[in-house]
Amino acid sequence: MNDYKALVDYAIDYGKDKTDAILARVNVSSGSQIRFSQNAIDISKRWEQLQLQLFAVVKGAKTGSTERPISSSDDVRDAVDDVIKFTGMLPDSQFYAGLEDTIQPYPKLKGEYDDKFDSFVEEAPQIINSVVDSSLEAGAERVAGALRFDKARFFFKSSHGPEGSGRRTFFELSVRAFQEELDFSGQGLSCGVKPSESEREMVRAGEKAGRLSKQAAGAVQGEPGKYDLVLSPTVAADVIGSIPGLANPMSILIGASPLGDKMGEQIAPNFVTASDDALYEGGLSSRAFDWEGTPCRTVKIIENGVLKALLHNTTTARMFESETTGSSTLLGTSMKLLMPASSNIVFENGDHSIDELLDVTRPTIHVTSNWYTRFQNQQSGEFSTIPRDAMFLVDGEEMKPIKNMRISDNTMRMLSSIDALGNDRTQVFWWEVRTPTVIPSMRIRDCRMTAATQ
Amino acid sequence: MSLVKDGKDLADYCVEYGRRLGATYVEARYVRDTTRGLAYRNGQPVSGGFSPSTGIGVRILVDGNMGFASFDRLEKKLAEESISVVHKMTKTAKRKTPIDLGEPVANRAKWDMKVKDSLRDIDIESLMELSDSVNKQMDGLVAFTFTINPKVMDKYLVTSEGTQIESQQSYILMYSILTAKGNGGSEQRYLDLTLAGGWERIKETNLIDRVLDEVERLKKTATNAVKIEELLNQPVDMVVGPEVAGIIAHENVGHPSEGDRIMGREGAQAGESFWRDLKIGESRVGSDVVSIGEDPTIPNTSGYYLYDDEGVKARKRVLIKNGILHEPLLNREFGTRFGSGSNAAARSVAYNREPIIRMANTYFEAGDHTFDELIEDVKLGVYMRSFMEWNIDDRRYQSKYSGSEAYLIKNGEITDTMVKRPVMETTSIGLLSAIDAVSKNLGFDFPGTCGKGDPSQGCPVYAGGGELRFRKIRLGGVG
Repeated sequence: MNDYKALVDYAIDYGKDKTDAILARVNVSSGSQIRFSQNAIDISKRWEQLQLQLFAVVKGAKTGSTERPISSSDDVRDAVDDVIKFTGMLPDSQFYAGLEDTIQPYPKLKGEYDDKFDSFVEEAPQIINSVVDSSLEAGAERVAGALRFDKARFFFKSSHGPEGSGRRTFFELSVRAFQEELDFSGQGLSCGVKPSESEREMVRAGEKAGRLSKQAAGAVQGEPGKYDLVLSPTVAADVIGSIPGLANPMSILIGASPLGDKMGEQIAPNFVTASDDALYEGGLSSRAFDWEGTPCRTVKIIENGVLKALLHNTTTARMFESETTGSSTLLGTSMKLLMPASSNIVFENGDHSIDELLDVTRPTIHVTSNWYTRFQNQQSGEFSTIPRDAMFLVDGEEMKPIKNMRISDNTMRMLSSIDALGNDRTQVFWWEVRTPTVIPSMRIRDCRMTAATQ
Repeated sequence: MSLVKDGKDLADYCVEYGRRLGATYVEARYVRDTTRGLAYRNGQPVSGGFSPSTGIGVRILVDGNMGFASFDRLEKKLAEESISVVHKMTKTAKRKTPIDLGEPVANRAKWDMKVKDSLRDIDIESLMELSDSVNKQMDGLVAFTFTINPKVMDKYLVTSEGTQIESQQSYILMYSILTAKGNGGSEQRYLDLTLAGGWERIKETNLIDRVLDEVERLKKTATNAVKIEELLNQPVDMVVGPEVAGIIAHENVGHPSEGDRIMGREGAQAGESFWRDLKIGESRVGSDVVSIGEDPTIPNTSGYYLYDDEGVKARKRVLIKNGILHEPLLNREFGTRFGSGSNAAARSVAYNREPIIRMANTYFEAGDHTFDELIEDVKLGVYMRSFMEWNIDDRRYQSKYSGSEAYLIKNGEITDTMVKRPVMETTSIGLLSAIDAVSKNLGFDFPGTCGKGDPSQGCPVYAGGGELRFRKIRLGGVG
């Protein structure tokens, strides 16, 4: 069965007269992953999926969704029947105000597909060996990581008219290097849409992890207190880069965003501009149109430090008396909801080299990686996160490795206290950062660092 | 309990096909699950979803290298292609130290979570009625969400060593994010209300009353909690409830006890473990009163199973006994490497995920104190009933638990004074060593979704304990 377009056509033809509206997507993907640790491959994985996703509107404002594997047009018909029956029993949604109903031209995406992807699958184990070797040569004793690489196609149609298709490839490499000790470690990341052209970058990620782990050797307990922090792109993506993604009406409505009452306010210094950019070349979540068939565009969320826009789909745009930004997405794991969501978060690059960011006279810590970010209150932004891997106290010309500290602060305060942006803008996507975020290093004033009391 | 026949047949065929390719071990897991769900915001319906899922995951061992293939359509040709591709990838891994699963396992069994009212028979009206009742309890909050997803999962596990196990698990997945506004600003709470079993669990566990109780407690916290300087100036005693005991058991003990972490397999993701540099059976990490159980055989829990996802018969594990490291969590691969064999800790949350070492139900074994006895000789301290923000480093050594509902204890009594966000920021050994008493009141107040693996596997678990008393804790927030 290779005529996937025929399946979405059939879903719409079969379902359009039985519903007020129906959206159908068929996603076909092949994914692979190689996981490694202690300098050896632990497991090689492969996934094959062909999934139909449906979103239906029946009896005015009842909305429901389904996602399931399919093998034939009979399966498609059953899925449409099921979603209509199920949705018909639901109460009216109070969060539905319509879908895209005009057919518009879609922007052209650049470079989202790697034509040499299939040959990369065969080369991947050897590339892992090169990554491990480069890390060991740079000073690591032990190397762990995972390389994921997928190719996918999708076909879309709406009963309101819009339709389209797309294809993409992507890869995600995470490398972590250790000395023999548990807490002298370094991280290297690489991600992109063309794995076959990225071998050198992957090897560089391994080398970086190894070098950082060696530089972290001998790290001593850090002293709690207030410091200026220089966040690497990896850390900035998680702590600061997540904020524009919360310019989302649904996040605001459920109390999960600090931006609800900040529209038009200066929330960052005027040299900070960040967009949701579905058209970003090489972006892992780049797309030409959204889940309703609205063309995607670049949305400036923070412009010169001022909160300028929220992400919308048709429903939230009508609720907020605004316009859709082409951000509609069917989101969720076991149950899927149609709501606005980020594509790629893209910060404008800064103009400081990393050496300039670290050329300081105040107590400053360089944080290269972090994980386990948790909030006490998502509306106000109080949170903490744990720097992991190499972390350095900058003391004049010297960089002293330190360990065992926690950033315990407020994300909105930190956003407003950015002091300088680096010129090393990088796309970040890994375990801790699941929205592709293109962001430079940044220096932030007066951050609160805490540590265990016993 | 019945499974789609061609899924089982295809799983059997996958084992045969993998063997034909030359794999020394093949394991196929056919999983069929169904979830139906509703989502609400401030009591108003947002949408609903209905997603049946099927698929097969196959692990193969080739020349000591491990491979995993999964596919969602039950098609023989697709199965062959997937296994062939992964067989080729796996062969090229060329490990110097081959993976060894130890002694063969050949268990045949059928097990399920005992349910009275099957979730498959619950109609959508019942879900809506329950949701309306839950939402009513949240009146007066400034924002609240409620999602409910009953999920039934059938599995058929077959291996080339002769294991054949059928199982059925049943969960009512329920989550809420609550925001209350009071004098001191807003306070939030994330509630995981997940129940394991049939629809009868809603009544048996007094779900509606429990939700109302949590909502009222959050409102009270937002209105009354204040910072108390006296608590920051000196070491104080802390008493924590079963929810906080549960998260400590899970994070500070359960995770570092995972054999794959200890041996470094999770190095790039969930991390390694401070247990690596200690001696199991010898190293002291807590006081004498600290014993941590880990038991998948407790009925009506999210961690319940009778055979793990490698077909090994489940049993209780004791991770820490009287303060001393006692036993790590192990699957077959790491059971072999530790020399003790598996203790049935392999779990896979979906057909497209490899089985890895996971917790089930992790808890502080009950002690011999009443709750009143824990409180009565505390001169100055805090009773922290629940928590909100928490995290721990990836060696599982530096943890932070920030209180939600907390009360000042003075001269042996819990006062009405509520303490705003007390922070326990300590090391694992520092924390476990400060415990001098555990109450008799064992409760599994912390249902949760444990995160681990790459791709991530959100695994349903329970955690708990009796109330714990810590002596001379320096509250955190320093800096």
